[in-house]
Amino acid sequence: MRVVIGEDLFLLREGLVRLLKAYEFDVVAAVGTAPELLDALVEHRPDVGIVDVRLPPTNTDDGLRVAIAARAQIPGLPILVLSQYVEQLYARELLADQAGAVGYLLKDRVFDDDTFTGAIRAVAAGGTVLDPEVVKKLLGKRTKTARLSPRELQVMALMAEGRSNAAIAQRLVITEKAISKHAAGIFAKLGLAPSDDDNRRVLAVLAYLDG
Amino acid sequence: MLHYALLLLVILVAVYLARCRYGARYLDGKTGRWALLLPLCTAAFAGVIPRSGTTGYLLLVLMPVLVAASGLVMVRRPRLAAKAVPFTLLLLGLAGLVLARKYQDMAEVGYSMGPLDSHWYGLTPVSNWAVLSHLIVPEALLFLAAGMWLLFRVQAPGAGLTAAAARRLWRSRGKGVLPGQELLLIVVAVMVALLSGGFTDWAGPVLATTAANLALAGALVMLMLRSRLWAATMAAAGLVVLGFYGFLLAEFWPTVPGGTYGLVSLNDTRTVFIGGFLQGAVLMAAGLWLAPRVMGQHLGLREAELAARAGALEARAGVLTERVQTLTQTRTEVVDTAAAELRRIERDLHDGAQARLVALGMSLRAAERLFGTSPDAAMALVSEAKEASSKALTELRDLVRGIYPPVLADRGLADAIRALAMDCPLPAVTDVRLPGEVEMPVASAVYFSVAEALTNAAKHTHAKTVHVEVDYRDGMLRAQVADDGAGGADPDRGTGLHGIERRLAAFDGILAVSSPPGGPTIIAIEVPCALSSGKISSC
Repeated sequence: MRVVIGEDLFLLREGLVRLLKAYEFDVVAAVGTAPELLDALVEHRPDVGIVDVRLPPTNTDDGLRVAIAARAQIPGLPILVLSQYVEQLYARELLADQAGAVGYLLKDRVFDDDTFTGAIRAVAAGGTVLDPEVVKKLLGKRTKTARLSPRELQVMALMAEGRSNAAIAQRLVITEKAISKHAAGIFAKLGLAPSDDDNRRVLAVLAYLDG
Repeated sequence: MLHYALLLLVILVAVYLARCRYGARYLDGKTGRWALLLPLCTAAFAGVIPRSGTTGYLLLVLMPVLVAASGLVMVRRPRLAAKAVPFTLLLLGLAGLVLARKYQDMAEVGYSMGPLDSHWYGLTPVSNWAVLSHLIVPEALLFLAAGMWLLFRVQAPGAGLTAAAARRLWRSRGKGVLPGQELLLIVVAVMVALLSGGFTDWAGPVLATTAANLALAGALVMLMLRSRLWAATMAAAGLVVLGFYGFLLAEFWPTVPGGTYGLVSLNDTRTVFIGGFLQGAVLMAAGLWLAPRVMGQHLGLREAELAARAGALEARAGVLTERVQTLTQTRTEVVDTAAAELRRIERDLHDGAQARLVALGMSLRAAERLFGTSPDAAMALVSEAKEASSKALTELRDLVRGIYPPVLADRGLADAIRALAMDCPLPAVTDVRLPGEVEMPVASAVYFSVAEALTNAAKHTHAKTVHVEVDYRDGMLRAQVADDGAGGADPDRGTGLHGIERRLAAFDGILAVSSPPGGPTIIAIEVPCALSSGKISSC
């Protein structure tokens, strides 16, 4: 799997490259600034771009802007955004094009190799992976909890974190069939028309973000 | 003789009209009856015009035609005729003044009066240059006064303007100048007019001098209207100079031919004494009386101005003193707050991230030793270390948010407030309208104010929704957080709001809380600040 990395801190960049190589990812480019990153993403069209939100030159949200710009040029280009902090605002902006294949995680998640590589693969496969921190904030909204049952909320949260039905079933210790039923209930309550499951998952998360 | 005939004719016409069917039309109208005076006034000019030279004879022939024409106007357009009467009277008065001047000149050069030179001015037969000229002046003034009176009486064109000017003069009396002082300027103007020669000939020079004098009079009236004090100043100076000029004329007579000075021709010792010394003394006295008063008023004005300025300075000093007090207080508070904040950060780092990193190091060190002997125990220690680093990161993240929120640094105030609203447990509607970027210190203060307000709304009020509005108008940044909760919040209860208040005070910002029982609760803040021309943010 081909990966492009955009991270300005040398130690973190090298650490990421080492980690990904250990898991047999093919790191085709690892750059430290926003313009270089955009060039690399457009040139290499990787299976996943791993992008730090804060990048030079302005050291604000240049990485996020590059991610959105790259996806505008190449629709659906899978991007996993890493950050020291997570904002619903940024999650919403990343998901706004409704193309899926987006991840938004705290940098801490890199510690857990399996979760991290799992997230990379999920994004590469077109899934949506949001950090549990974001999901927690989403579920904190009172009006939203009113519409879904507690069980559906649990399923929704795990879905937003990018987990598959099987993984959710394992986590909640219920059958996969029951998960499918809950998912259908969630989609119905959010007014999402039947379509392919992956896309509906993206839309469900987006509908949640939009409130 | 023609003059008598014309006069008689006019009187007859007037009497006839008064009795005939037209009479009612004139006598009934409020202004119409004054129309009867028009042919009379026109006829009066017949006595004034000279009887010598081509112009004289031409005018003499024209006179009956003019009188007849004015009679016709009187009959056909009585209102128009009535409005023309005051102007005719004023013209007649002016002509009288000019005549008086001319006769004095004639007497001065010792010109004897011939049969053709005898005139009528109004009711005065002029058969002697020197004596009767003195009767003409009062009569001319009478005509002028009557003209002015009628001007208002019949509401002739110009009456409104004249009345407005008079009202303005009247109203401004006492403002910086004694009432009527500046009217002495009229005396100066009349003196100058009388001194300007060239009246011996009726042609060019007379008209030119009259025009110049009228222009001068106009300018002086303007001066009187614009600045009474300066008009009075000019009058004082003019009176002194003219009086001194009278002395000079009398002193050097007859070495220098005196000519006419004021109302008197200087041609013997008596007239030199009366005309030169006496008139000069009167003028000089008036000027010297006026001068110190005018000077006093100038100084008074200056003093008043200085006093006003001193008052303004004093008021400003008061404002500045108050400002210094406010600044001293807010600075102390800001320094205290900053110190407390630094202490808190130090403590958080010391007890949190720092302690966790120490623990992490110790776990790794222990794991290092255990790897050889019991790998399972070592692995457990490494997992522990991983967890410690994760917790340290979380704590650092929270700490950073409390110091300076990353989203505020990345996106500025507008997006940061939207992000706040999204993180709020309550459904929050934002309306942020900022036409530029707010300076970071102010943005930070406003951000934390809104954050505190949102936290309060979520915690205490059982609100269903909360509205956040931020806008910028006239150099003032306003933010308002309004919820639909139960209200009854006590502004003095929370320490959070007090901290916010202190923080805003450093920027001259204020915080107001309105929370009547039953709601809604509205927290409003206002901070004066400038916007930099950054990107345009709007919802």
